[in-house]
Amino acid sequence: MAGKVSLFLAVSALLFWSFQGSEFSPGQFWRGIPQLFHFFGRMTPPDWSVWDVLLTSAIETLQTTIAGTFLGALFAYPLGVLAASNWTPIWVHLPIKAFMAFVRSIPLLLLALLFVSAVGLGPFPGVLALAVHSVGVLGRFVAEEIEATDPKPLLALQGTGASSLQIIQHGLIPQVLPQMVAHLAIRFEMNLRDSTILGLVGAGGLGFYVFLYVKQFQWQKSGVLVLAIIALVFAGEFAAWQVRKRLI
Amino acid sequence: MSKEMVIQIENARVEMGSRTILSVDHLEISRGERVAVIGNSGSGKTTLMRMLKGYVPCLEGKVVVMGDVFPIRDPQKMKNHHRHIGMIHQHFDLIGRETVWQNVYHGRLGYVSLLKSVFGVCSERDLQICAQAIHEVHLEGKQRRFARTLSGGEQQRVAIARALAQEPTILLADEPVSSLDPALAEDIMDLLVSVCDAYDLTLMMSLHLPELARRYADRILALKNGEIMWDGSSDSLSNDRICEIYEFMGTNGVVNGNGTRASRSAFTWPYGWQGQPLPGG
Repeated sequence: MAGKVSLFLAVSALLFWSFQGSEFSPGQFWRGIPQLFHFFGRMTPPDWSVWDVLLTSAIETLQTTIAGTFLGALFAYPLGVLAASNWTPIWVHLPIKAFMAFVRSIPLLLLALLFVSAVGLGPFPGVLALAVHSVGVLGRFVAEEIEATDPKPLLALQGTGASSLQIIQHGLIPQVLPQMVAHLAIRFEMNLRDSTILGLVGAGGLGFYVFLYVKQFQWQKSGVLVLAIIALVFAGEFAAWQVRKRLI
Repeated sequence: MSKEMVIQIENARVEMGSRTILSVDHLEISRGERVAVIGNSGSGKTTLMRMLKGYVPCLEGKVVVMGDVFPIRDPQKMKNHHRHIGMIHQHFDLIGRETVWQNVYHGRLGYVSLLKSVFGVCSERDLQICAQAIHEVHLEGKQRRFARTLSGGEQQRVAIARALAQEPTILLADEPVSSLDPALAEDIMDLLVSVCDAYDLTLMMSLHLPELARRYADRILALKNGEIMWDGSSDSLSNDRICEIYEFMGTNGVVNGNGTRASRSAFTWPYGWQGQPLPGG
């Protein structure tokens, strides 16, 4: 009983501390609601004259996402196999797992900023940022999927005299392929979402123009691009869902 | 003229941790014999087979299988060793997302070079052997089905066909019928014995039911606490003996259902030969 009370008090204190520290103020939010509508009001009616910008930047976002996801997957799959603790000795999988955890801990925007300063503005640094981030996230899923694979059929294959690579090709890959593709689809969906805001730090795509127009107070134009982002992310989610539905 | 010896074991010992889980003083099996291994769970049946397959190392003594002296260090020799010994498992251990034909073809992998198997090049001979193996187990109509969509009995047939595709000399069957119902179990046992006759294979199978062992084997090995306590022809095994073999199982004569099972974490790769013996073997 005393334990429950003290847990309740501790959680309450933690919540109070957090809301206090983050200057939480319902009154201020209430007073701000008209301003919120005012903001959306300024975006309407949408100014469709930017449709050419919309089209080119949406395509650029899509291209950035595909290239970044592909590049990431290219490294994530082999690294993920090497990071599976039941397949490789500890001095191989531990450093790789640590590396992937390190990569995951860097926020995507920070990665993008890093690559923008290295290779300049445009979609290319976005591709690099997405790729590096994907290696961290996707590689971990690959490793976990392989670790969870039933080893007995693999042992049975080994017992036929198959070599290591043959066991990977005929035993491991058929067992993990659907989950691998499903993870790739989810990664693509997430990357599409992320790449729409990469423009914030100058790494190209739809986000770049949203912030450009906001800075120039051209609200009606930026509103159109926001709509495009929503549509694109929604389409990406739908595509990933379709892929997953067919596989699992 | 005495028959050719395919398995010879002298004073072999297998340890798990510091505990001896199998200790065989003397065992010889000649070509064409049908040997059943019976005994309680944990009596060493599975360990004996895993030792013959080279999955668990024997610490001392002499183990000779098909002229290969253990331990086999040369990978090419190990590969040869593997393809001469087909193994059938209690839980079939097929690749569920591949077709029946592909699973049977896996038995040929030991003969096919990596490059050929990557590009799916099958020689005429491989195709012929796989087709023959599928014919033997009466699964001609189901070649294109995915293995996971088959019933347990059919999956075990695929596993037998896979082992046949290896063109083995010895067939090891580790509780081949323990996860099947009694009628199916008899089908599978009939099939196993008939293919072993047809191809002149030496069969060693571990069985939970002494009745099956007496019916299908010509020789019975009884293990208890990792040691052979009885070795003789199947007709000479009396009921009293059977009771004695199963004496200490403590469940009023009911044979404990699922015996040995490989733990999921036991697969180490690719440093397999030095791996620890599985628990409960």
